[in-house]
Amino acid sequence: MSAYLAPDAQLPYCRGCGHASVVRQLSRAFERLQLPPRSVALTTDIGCVGLADSLFPYLHTVHTTHGRSTAFATGMALADVLFEQGSLKPVVMIGDGGAMIGLLHLVHAAQLNVDVTVLVHNNFLFGMTGGQHSALTPVEFVTATTPTGNYVPPLDLLELLRAAHAGFLARQSATDAGLDALIAEAIAFPGFALVEILELCTAYGTRWNKLTGAKLKEIATLQGYALGKPEASLERPTFREVIRHQQQNSHVPHATRPEVLRQVEGATLASELRLVVAGSAGERVQSAAGLLARAAVAAGLYATQKNDNPVTQGTGFSLSEICLSPRPIEYTGMEQPDVVIVVSADGLKELVANGTLAGTRPETLLVMDVELDVPPANGRLVRLPLRQRATPQRAALAAIAAWQALAPILPPAAWDAALETLPADRRGENITALQAGRELAECQSGPAKPT
Amino acid sequence: MVAEGALAAGCRFFAGYPITPASEIYEVMMRELPARGGLALSAPDEISSLCYCVGASLRGLKAMTATSGPGWALMIETFQYALMTETPVVIALVARLGPSTGGATQGAQGDVWLAEFGTSGGYTVPVFAPSTAAECYELTIHAFNWSERLRTPVLLLSDKEVGMTTEVVDDDALARPTRVDRARIAEGEKPRPYGFNAPGDVPAFAEVGGEAKVTATGSAHDQEGRLRKNSPEVIEVLSHLQQKIEAHAEEMTLARTDLEAGSSYLLVSYGITARAARQATSALRRDGARISFLQPQTLFPIPRRTLDRALAGVKTVLVAEENLTGQYRALLAAHLGGRRIVGINKIGALISPAEIVQAVRNEEAR
Ligand SMILES: Cc1ncc(C[n+]2csc(CCOP(=O)(O)OP(=O)(O)O)c2C)c(N)n1
Ligand code: SF4
Repeated sequence: MSAYLAPDAQLPYCRGCGHASVVRQLSRAFERLQLPPRSVALTTDIGCVGLADSLFPYLHTVHTTHGRSTAFATGMALADVLFEQGSLKPVVMIGDGGAMIGLLHLVHAAQLNVDVTVLVHNNFLFGMTGGQHSALTPVEFVTATTPTGNYVPPLDLLELLRAAHAGFLARQSATDAGLDALIAEAIAFPGFALVEILELCTAYGTRWNKLTGAKLKEIATLQGYALGKPEASLERPTFREVIRHQQQNSHVPHATRPEVLRQVEGATLASELRLVVAGSAGERVQSAAGLLARAAVAAGLYATQKNDNPVTQGTGFSLSEICLSPRPIEYTGMEQPDVVIVVSADGLKELVANGTLAGTRPETLLVMDVELDVPPANGRLVRLPLRQRATPQRAALAAIAAWQALAPILPPAAWDAALETLPADRRGENITALQAGRELAECQSGPAKPT
Repeated sequence: MVAEGALAAGCRFFAGYPITPASEIYEVMMRELPARGGLALSAPDEISSLCYCVGASLRGLKAMTATSGPGWALMIETFQYALMTETPVVIALVARLGPSTGGATQGAQGDVWLAEFGTSGGYTVPVFAPSTAAECYELTIHAFNWSERLRTPVLLLSDKEVGMTTEVVDDDALARPTRVDRARIAEGEKPRPYGFNAPGDVPAFAEVGGEAKVTATGSAHDQEGRLRKNSPEVIEVLSHLQQKIEAHAEEMTLARTDLEAGSSYLLVSYGITARAARQATSALRRDGARISFLQPQTLFPIPRRTLDRALAGVKTVLVAEENLTGQYRALLAAHLGGRRIVGINKIGALISPAEIVQAVRNEEAR
């Protein structure tokens, strides 16, 4: 016995269990590599395979949950990248049962090419729970849950992980010489490496099937599995290299600063005001509402904004609910809006459906596109050719500007401050929209009564 | 503001998976964390998200993920692993209308029990519940601090309405709790992975990859991390997991109170509904009612001492929350000394101040 495996280790497996030989070969692999014990994180899964932790008293050991060992190991490997001196080698011990339930973790670790080595102990069944079959059980294999033989063809893990761009993939049987060298090669590999080890569960596998070490080879041949050699050894950048490269080449984004608005003060709003803007997706409804909220904040008001869309974000209605107040805003519900702005049929339909229009009162102001049917609502109605004069893309902001021209609460300077928060190339179209709205309001003699 | 709070708390690792209404936290972390020297990553599912975070925390980094009800359901096995292995991690749970896929874009406060009782064994899982953007910032820092201090997973429970409403945050008035880091094992000290002297103590942390050997396990273990069958040593560790929370419960709990002497009514609300409740309290007082208000910011442990103080002279407690059966009300009931308790409940829409006022009026008219 070697220094990695405790000299007095009592192997906890049944007599003849393949796990015992893997544990010995793994220890030899560590010896070959002469890895500092504290650079290894032996990460074990649930099952008989997960009884190995205490056998390796000098390594970090992490005993995890069923099938998830690879994901925990991946987390450690990912984090290790942030340590300048990081050189952690997580080694995963997992069964075929664990590999099945945790398949996605293997796939993603391979895709990421993290420096994780996975040893899949494939004894063709769930040992610890009493010999049930797994996704890796060969056809005709008898298990506790396939009493007449398995009829579902087994998953070829290596083939699958090849498709996930795994860097190092190999298969070997537990009893074969050279397993230690193969495991060492896998651990030394700088990215994701997986070795599938075919082995026998003497408690169940050999009880129900005529199996010997030689028979393992037969099963492998039957399934077209080559043994012993890495089946793939793909050179591609490891996760560590990718991140280092990004850091060195400033591929990382710059931190965004919180948005700071130039304060202009001068709002004339004595109590809370609730406003809904409704239109169609893709017609800048929510960004128009956002500009209003910014202008209000610049003018010294408090503001909240909530947006809504159908489940598909690119079609149908688009809606924004705004509360403005001289005091901090608590409740943001919109049962009784003070101002309702509707610029498209989609928006109108939604305001009918969600009950907003039912909450309108005689003092509610409705600003609508002139083409829309007059809805069943209370309030003063202003109908303007918003879509035609301002274009559909600018209709929402034009409507807001028209409302502000008719019933102003914000000084013009507040809009300037809000516009300053936009990228320079987006300001022009917004200024045009604001202007169009103000002009439309001028032509309007005053709010009309609903018909 | 959850993301900003996490960054201020020293979060260095984030793994996420898209889900409304938690995706904004994910997107902000993907953008901001690498820029500030951390690592943010997309996981292939929520099980992986939390496993990656726990792995990163075992390696020594402060870690967080964000999800909503359906994703949280997938994380619970891993959450229990973090609890059992005493691994700090923060989960921002931004609730939406359930059950199942439910209403992705609708708010709800229906995950209170799922958050608190997802764990086998009846452990007190610390849950912080912000009601505003500013509280999101402050309570996220507290969530990290307590997760680190007690070496335990902590939940930050908000909902769509808190998480996806844009609002003004007054930078000058923002509370900035001092950041706390986990206590690490002293150099040369003999590692006892789960060792404690008094049951309320928190074991010193050693990171995977460091000089002190780590023995981590989610299976029943003794203080050395050795697997043991149902032995006194195991029971001692399992009890300690609860005792360390209880020993710090009073210190951990936060609440906003607005108490009025001589009140016969105490209104309790949390998260998004606390906003309507505050407004209702003011409205009721303007009309001459005497009413006190309590907003637990730490839902669990229940802020017992503050609650007792708020209960002085009170005859009726009203609990407003956006779920069908009064999840928090049911748990508060045991602590009210037999006082009358009334639920104000609704799903599918915000509870309005007017509805709360009406409920109090109904009580007055009884
Ligand atoms: C989520 C979950 N499901 C089921 C189990 C029960 N369980 C324990 S071990 C095991 C299977 C182990 O089989 P395998 O991974 O092949 O390892 P072996 O025992 O053969 O070494 C299962 C299903 C569990 N622990 N957790
Ligand atoms: S049950 Fe099977 S896998 Fe488990 S120890 Fe025994 S032989 Fe090995």
